[in-house]
Amino acid sequence: MIEVLDYLQFVLAPQVVTGLTLGVAVILVALGLTIIFGLLDVINMSHGEFYALGAFMALALSWIGVPFWLLLVLVPLAMLPIGYLVERSLIQRVFNSKDRHVTTLLLTFGFGLVLEEIIKLLFGPNPYKPETPIRGAIEVFGIFIPNYRLFLIVAGGAVIVAVALIVYRTRWGAIVRAAAFDRHMAASLGVPVHRVYAIAFAFGVALAGLAGVLLAPIYSVFPTMGRDFILLAFTVVIVGGMGSIAGAVVAGLFLTQVQAIASLYISPVWSDPIVFGIMVIMLMVRPQGLYGRLGHA
Amino acid sequence: MRDALTNSMRASHVLALVLLAAGLMFAAFGAVTNDTFYLRLATEALIFGGLALAVDILLGYTGLLSLGQAMFFGLGAYVAAVVLIAIPSFWLAFGAALVAGILTGLIGGFIANRVRGVYFALITFGMAQVVAKVIYNTRSLGASDGLIGVPIVKINFGLFAVSSDNPVGFFLFTMAYVGALYLIAAYILDTPFGRLLIALKANERRVPFLGYHATSARLAAYVLAATIASLSGALYPMLRGFASPELLFFATSGNAVITVITGGAGTLIGAIYGSVLLTVIKSYVGSWTEHHLIVIGILFMLVVIFLPNGLMGVVRPWVEKLLARKTRS
Repeated sequence: MIEVLDYLQFVLAPQVVTGLTLGVAVILVALGLTIIFGLLDVINMSHGEFYALGAFMALALSWIGVPFWLLLVLVPLAMLPIGYLVERSLIQRVFNSKDRHVTTLLLTFGFGLVLEEIIKLLFGPNPYKPETPIRGAIEVFGIFIPNYRLFLIVAGGAVIVAVALIVYRTRWGAIVRAAAFDRHMAASLGVPVHRVYAIAFAFGVALAGLAGVLLAPIYSVFPTMGRDFILLAFTVVIVGGMGSIAGAVVAGLFLTQVQAIASLYISPVWSDPIVFGIMVIMLMVRPQGLYGRLGHA
Repeated sequence: MRDALTNSMRASHVLALVLLAAGLMFAAFGAVTNDTFYLRLATEALIFGGLALAVDILLGYTGLLSLGQAMFFGLGAYVAAVVLIAIPSFWLAFGAALVAGILTGLIGGFIANRVRGVYFALITFGMAQVVAKVIYNTRSLGASDGLIGVPIVKINFGLFAVSSDNPVGFFLFTMAYVGALYLIAAYILDTPFGRLLIALKANERRVPFLGYHATSARLAAYVLAATIASLSGALYPMLRGFASPELLFFATSGNAVITVITGGAGTLIGAIYGSVLLTVIKSYVGSWTEHHLIVIGILFMLVVIFLPNGLMGVVRPWVEKLLARKTRS
């Protein structure tokens, strides 16, 4: 009996906490992706690079002495105009082309390449390891949790709840949901649909940037950091349902736990094929994902 | 009586002949100057052109965006490498890559064709990720290092033989090989089956009303594209002496998509031109900065915004007009 408890306490529980940390961060990135898809019908292939951009902004600002707490606000705020401009100057150019999915996917893919390379040009290809802003660890039910991870889970969770409240409980959210449900009807009722698009895109990008700030002290910061991470975020969005906020949260928690537990029982290197396998199977049997789209009930 | 498709194919063939002539001149130049580096680079451009050709069959003709075509390319490379390490016979490796392409194409097509549109792009992407990660983790396939030590092969044609370590000979052979893949693809797409694929691209829902089976046509297109990608990949270990997991990664698939869009989707020959063009840009820009991806990325974005039909979308109609004037007079 004691062995079982020891096992739970020292092996399983830390792994679950690690998975939860990653889960919260992935959900932040996936939320941006899913809102952009649900509203604009655009698969933002450059989302991972925006995540990396957020981390590098935080890194650069911390070099000139900006405290971590301020970064959590400053970086997402700085991402907003960038996202707004990208939506207005790039995505809107091809938004009304014949095959919007493919064209916008290709365009954002190209933009991601350029963004990643610009980051590489400015910071070099090598990883940086920022200092952990909160040191020490805390004991909860006999499980040691590094303070920073606990902070990440709480703060990230709060942001996720705030996003859900904004989308489902505010006038702004109602406008976004209306535009996602029927853009023509929303437009004819006086919703400035194009501005809503740009703001929603900027909002999604800011969430990716925030995830970059939060995760930088745990993982290293390097120009291609967005690549592997975005694959996981895409998987979360697909399994949860493209354009569903609840789906992103549920799938995000589920898949990161699968990854954490699988690396314990099978092998860390096999956790990726398992997670992507779940994505392929989900696409085969239920391409729309677990939950319905934004604005659709 | 020739219809628009045949006319456009004829224009593509003319452009293919232009490229062939340029390739022959390049080979002669390389032979005279005793060059290895640029001939090897050009050979690689043609091999990746074969992969882009496969992407174009799906994107340009069937209207399916594949974000995981590198899976078949990499599988072809690994199959060929495994066979060549065991028995260094080109024809055996070729046959193995052909069978592997058809079989994996059938399996992949069965999975991917259950969904449409953007979900198709995502499922091809997901499948390639799974296979790439599995190969990356398989120790007997060299894991992250890849399969190294593929021997030099003599490609025996009965009357003569080409060795893969002869830069000029192997370049000419690759040109003929990729040219044959192009001709096969062009021939198949110019049949009623090819017109069925174009009908699928235009409006998939109407196709069944005309009495055709949309699913099997799409599966056939997918298998064709998989086989061409696999056969192109089979040349890679002969050129470089190894097969690495990077060949299956998204970067390779994404590159093939960039190649097709830049060269011109739906023209077939645009895939090869695109591959040559991108290789030239890469080696030219790469000679003074390692950040050549900025240039390629910006070029790609400009093409997506301003030239949705790519480079050949501009050049080919012009060639078509030229051909039409010739036949009339």
